[in-house]
Amino acid sequence: MLLTEEKPKIGQKYVDALRQQFGWSIQEEAWQAPDQVTVTVELNSLPSVVETLYYQHGGWLSVVAGNDERPINGHFALYYVLSVEGDEQAPENKREKCYFVVRTLIPPHQMEFPAVTPRVPAAIWYEREVRDMFGLQPIGLPDERRLVLPDDWPEGLYPLRKDSMDYRYRPEPTTEDETYEFIDVEGEGIVQVPLGPLHITSDEPGHFRLYVDGEHIVDADYRLFYVHRGMEKLAETRMTYDQVTFLADRICGICGYAHNVAYSTSIERALGIAVPERAQYIRTILLEVERLHSHLLNLGLACHFVGFDTGFMQFFRVREKSMKMAELLTGTRKTYGMNLIGGVRRDILKEERTQTLQWIKELRQEVTDLVAMLLETPYIVQRTQDIGRLESKVARDYSPVGPTLRGSGFARDIRVIHPYCAYDRVPWTLTYKDGCDVLARTLIRAEEFFESLSMVERCLDTMPEGPVLTEGFRYKPYAYALGYVEAPRGEDIHWSMLGDNQKLYRWRCRASSYNNWPPLRYMLRGNTISDAPLIVASIDPCYSCTERVTVVDVRKKKAQVVPYKELERYCRERKHSPLK
Amino acid sequence: MVLKLIREVLKVGQATLPYPFTPVELAPGFRGKPEYDPQQCIACAACTIACPPNALTMHTDLEQGVRTWSLFYGRCIFCARCEEVCPTGAIKLGHDFELASFSREDLTIRAEFRLAACNLCGAYFASAKELEHVLALLDQAGLPPEDAANRKALLRACPECRRKMDLPRVKPLVQEAFNGRV
Repeated sequence: MLLTEEKPKIGQKYVDALRQQFGWSIQEEAWQAPDQVTVTVELNSLPSVVETLYYQHGGWLSVVAGNDERPINGHFALYYVLSVEGDEQAPENKREKCYFVVRTLIPPHQMEFPAVTPRVPAAIWYEREVRDMFGLQPIGLPDERRLVLPDDWPEGLYPLRKDSMDYRYRPEPTTEDETYEFIDVEGEGIVQVPLGPLHITSDEPGHFRLYVDGEHIVDADYRLFYVHRGMEKLAETRMTYDQVTFLADRICGICGYAHNVAYSTSIERALGIAVPERAQYIRTILLEVERLHSHLLNLGLACHFVGFDTGFMQFFRVREKSMKMAELLTGTRKTYGMNLIGGVRRDILKEERTQTLQWIKELRQEVTDLVAMLLETPYIVQRTQDIGRLESKVARDYSPVGPTLRGSGFARDIRVIHPYCAYDRVPWTLTYKDGCDVLARTLIRAEEFFESLSMVERCLDTMPEGPVLTEGFRYKPYAYALGYVEAPRGEDIHWSMLGDNQKLYRWRCRASSYNNWPPLRYMLRGNTISDAPLIVASIDPCYSCTERVTVVDVRKKKAQVVPYKELERYCRERKHSPLK
Repeated sequence: MVLKLIREVLKVGQATLPYPFTPVELAPGFRGKPEYDPQQCIACAACTIACPPNALTMHTDLEQGVRTWSLFYGRCIFCARCEEVCPTGAIKLGHDFELASFSREDLTIRAEFRLAACNLCGAYFASAKELEHVLALLDQAGLPPEDAANRKALLRACPECRRKMDLPRVKPLVQEAFNGRV
């Protein structure tokens, strides 16, 4: 008798349930990893399948990847990636958790697919993006505006189609004006307040438009992607697998290493490469070191936005130690450049370990004092409690990630749900709160900071000896898999498909803030305009320099430009409203 | 609260450095400007293939028999992949990070290498230093003298001539494989 080793297939029960419900619409299934399954479904049943997984089997939408597979099988493909976590009423240990990818094929003569957004709101940005990048029309999607492409981008040029354009091509703008149509909110006394395009708490400039009644925000709309860098196209057309790790480092200036690990693990998983134990510990340590500096940055900014600038300076002073830690362990303060496919490039030496442990002790003491000081500041709680509420219901519908979600009562952290690297071997405690407000999100970051310190310590103490890099594997054309990391702001997820020319066929990288922007609108509603910067900062989007704010009085049809600094000042001092 | 804060501020004192008037302390493994030693370089192009941002490039002029290696610091991301893949240790990352300059040209370094000509047809085909390096490696390999001599003769020819030289050896094998139908 021939013995074949059966790999565990986590998620089989969801596939069976779908087969029972949808019959022949479920066409084929394939496991990329024990807890990763891709199921091809018939095009018209796509919305129902995604909805069933999302609301009946405890699914959360992680990412949607479009792919031009015409050279492979003659079709366009869509991959809806859900983290399916089982019935939310069931006890924690009874739930079967896996990444469930719903794949559907679209024939090139059809170029449309039934939109999932009306059933699952979390898909809204993804379907707008797929329309921009591939020209696939989501039928039934109410929002017909562009998401990623600039408004002056030529019609009918879809960048990610394989036959559309060279990655270096920069088309001439087709119009002089910004033609983006913001939503219309009408009502007695409602004033529009546009912020941006070069603006608010984001590395990327964004154009926000707040609709205010007096001082109260009625609704909000935003236009982002002003600095889309075309990284996916660049990676697919110019770079080799190892080179892309360095590009992934540059997706974000704060959580670049998280992207780097997400990308590397996606390739390693697709090829079934076993990464050495020691390398997994080193990756865990560096991911947590990155969280240290990111959370200190956000805590500092929280101080800044409530007008406690001394606190801001103090947080940034101690943050320097976490930057030095990264420099010591990786050779540079940011863009660590530590990964190759198969492991890491550099080991942690004894002196580096001793020094890191020393700094961790110091940081723990210093930050404990600072956080105590921050919370004793009388107006901190007053300014953040019940501000920027993200109700659990909205959070459930939009699949936000990270502290934004954990602040709304969901104990959802990728490090626990889908453990990667060494997270299943190091004991640690997950933090979540049900305050749903800015305060809850800030406190979660403070608590996670200390948890990260302990995790680095434990990893340094228990990491096994051995090699740090696996070499000598072969790349298999068209193998694909997911890589995921809980970055400081939430889940970063990469879907990679290998090509036949030592380059990626398709690389879909999704940063955590992508899932946190759509529900922001609901967090802004009902708050005063002076809290807007505070609320935006509480989802911790990459922060950057800001420009100005335009105030438009709809009733008087008059626009007034207010420098952003003025709004920020108003947020801190709450005196002398710029709107008066 | 305020008193505690003031105490903390006084305890810390000055946290910033008067940089650039005092140097910044760097970690021992800090990755700074790549330092290049043209004496060691054999122009094999391993670094230019590995370099993620294409800061390292190589241009081969087959007419003149010259290969130009160049490094543009303006594109460099200090990842040290070049150092990792270099077979001769010709490029190593130092600690220098203050590279600001008024001219683009100051950020570029170049080195020119002679190409070796094929000993049969005379066409340029590979960097002369690379060829010397490989021949020297063969001496170290401890092959039987006749085998080593054959290999060396092969290496001194360009790929095209090498193929022709190999023909008498390969022909019987091919004929055997196709049962004499070739």
